[in-house]
Amino acid sequence: MTLDSNTAPSTDHSEVLSIQHATHQFGSLVAVDDVSITARRGEFLTLLGESGSGKTTLLRLIAGLERPTRIGGISIEGRDVTLVPASRRNCTTVFQHYALFPHMSVGQNIEYGLRVRGVSISERRERAMEALNLVRLPDKYDRRVHQLSGGERQRISLARALVTRPAILLLDEPLGALDEKLRVEMQVELLDLHQKLGITFIYVTHSQEEALTMSDRIILMRRGKIVQEGPPTDLFDRPGNRFVADFMGVENLLAGTLEAVTGERASVRVGDYRMSGIWSGGEAPAAGTQVCLAVRAERVRLGKAGGGGPEDGVNRLPCKSGITIYKGKYIDRTLDTDVGPLTARIWDRDADLAEFASVWWRADDCAVTRMAGEGG
Amino acid sequence: MTMENTSQARFRLPFWRRLMDWAPTGTGIIFGYSVLFILYFPIVMLMLLSFSGDPLTGIPGDWTITWYEDVIFADIAQRDGEAYGSNFRVGDPLLLSIMLACITAVACVIAVLIVGPILPRIKWRGPFLVGFLMPLMIPGIIGGVGLFMWYRLVIDVKMGIWSLVLAHFVWAFPFALLAMLVVASRFDIRLMEAAKDLGAKPWQRFWQIEMPLLKPGIYAAGFFGFLLSFNELPFSIFMRAGQDTLPLYLWIQSGAHNTTVPLIYAMSTIITVGSIGLTFLAIKLAFGGGQKNDVRQ
Repeated sequence: MTLDSNTAPSTDHSEVLSIQHATHQFGSLVAVDDVSITARRGEFLTLLGESGSGKTTLLRLIAGLERPTRIGGISIEGRDVTLVPASRRNCTTVFQHYALFPHMSVGQNIEYGLRVRGVSISERRERAMEALNLVRLPDKYDRRVHQLSGGERQRISLARALVTRPAILLLDEPLGALDEKLRVEMQVELLDLHQKLGITFIYVTHSQEEALTMSDRIILMRRGKIVQEGPPTDLFDRPGNRFVADFMGVENLLAGTLEAVTGERASVRVGDYRMSGIWSGGEAPAAGTQVCLAVRAERVRLGKAGGGGPEDGVNRLPCKSGITIYKGKYIDRTLDTDVGPLTARIWDRDADLAEFASVWWRADDCAVTRMAGEGG
Repeated sequence: MTMENTSQARFRLPFWRRLMDWAPTGTGIIFGYSVLFILYFPIVMLMLLSFSGDPLTGIPGDWTITWYEDVIFADIAQRDGEAYGSNFRVGDPLLLSIMLACITAVACVIAVLIVGPILPRIKWRGPFLVGFLMPLMIPGIIGGVGLFMWYRLVIDVKMGIWSLVLAHFVWAFPFALLAMLVVASRFDIRLMEAAKDLGAKPWQRFWQIEMPLLKPGIYAAGFFGFLLSFNELPFSIFMRAGQDTLPLYLWIQSGAHNTTVPLIYAMSTIITVGSIGLTFLAIKLAFGGGQKNDVRQ
């Protein structure tokens, strides 16, 4: 049997993890507030949120490194592990700080999980070599930990966690300590591993970009609660409230009053203008509610002078030019409008930026959503 | 005159300027060597005198090892009931001191293993630390009197070997703890979590992760326990009750008989060399190959 014996794509989509009503408090601080989540076998699930959102605590609850203050139940592979200590749960963690044992060689580090399980020396060695091959460091078995670079350490930590063939691999901001270029490389490698092994990955990160690139499903957390969960496209294009839109990097957020929601489309009064967009806030509230219109900078376009009246399916605002920020691949242009500054992203460097007097974007390219989440 | 003072300057600075620049360093060097001289001169003299024919004159020379022979053979001869030129008997005090030192060392290691790893992690560590380290600041004589009164008048411990062990432990523990804390405070507790996460049970985590990483602290604690007990005098004065430790015996002998003074020189030299040897051994055990442990992650 080899590490990647259960080669993906697996047809078994049974539930591999289930947490019911988990609450965790540090003193009076509620880090995780009555959260329930599930994960399917082979899923790449991301817990996304800013620091202090409770995502790491939730991961530690799964690992068993933290004892929940209150919990309905937690089960891994259908087995109730609520009272099972971390050492006997079929999941392992890749820590942001690597947590490699400094007094052991690379090989000993990787073999540790097998050693404590009483696996024979020859089998340990064999499986460690296999894991080293998997993370593409086949010749580092005898190295000392301090001889490795940051990226290599993270791979060894990954190999150490994988060698025991866990049902779930927990990754706690594993790329947080790496530099930009290495991070992108490792993202690809992690995805590759995930595909190869078919193990459930639960990945904690604060980077929406990382979450979007890698996940099958994202759970966005804030103040210990789940704000929104769904596939990356959902969170990216259909933010459930203003916080999600902001967190997912939507540059232009306009406050307005909801006029009506008809089907998918919502019409909103922003200042003196009537605009429309895709309703993303779930069950529609009553007309007159304060809502948020969210549009990404790359969807905002510049129009020639005049502009004319509102066309169907287009939101248009007269504007004056503000500052220009050079970003290398593109230019971000701030535009002053009657409802506040907007940012437009311009990819065409040769575009004549002098000759415009309005901005516009398609209603289908913008989301209308709640100001705040339920209870948040 | 130029103020240029870089390495590329063509001009040599005038003598007084160079003197001024050099003055702080020079003063430091002279002062440092003076201190070293004051520290080591008596010890070196003592060693030289222990090999001298007539050490009581204070002038080394006329080299001999007769005093060393006397240290050893006086005891052996008297043990066999023979008369010897000197009644200097160092055997029993030496054995007692070694035994006390070993017990103290073991006690220190165990105590420090219990307290050391926990202390840096608890919330109110400040007061605990002060409490544990206070004995460092109490003069030995006062501590000795205090313990004496406590043992004799309050808890009625019989004076003897065990009162000595207790006193030596009280004396050595803070030093041993300090040595352990240096290591324990750098110990990354997250490694224990990682081990737990990988499936290690509590005793596996202790033996396979915590112990190896705390090893320098353990050796240092044992070493301090041994050496501090072995050299301890003030507490022993009050706790002895008929038992003479080696320092106590040497102290009494040096005050009593002129004829034994040369033997004290020889004995002191042996102890000094032994202590230095032990220190090097301890450092080697604690930090030799320790380079692999100082990984910053």
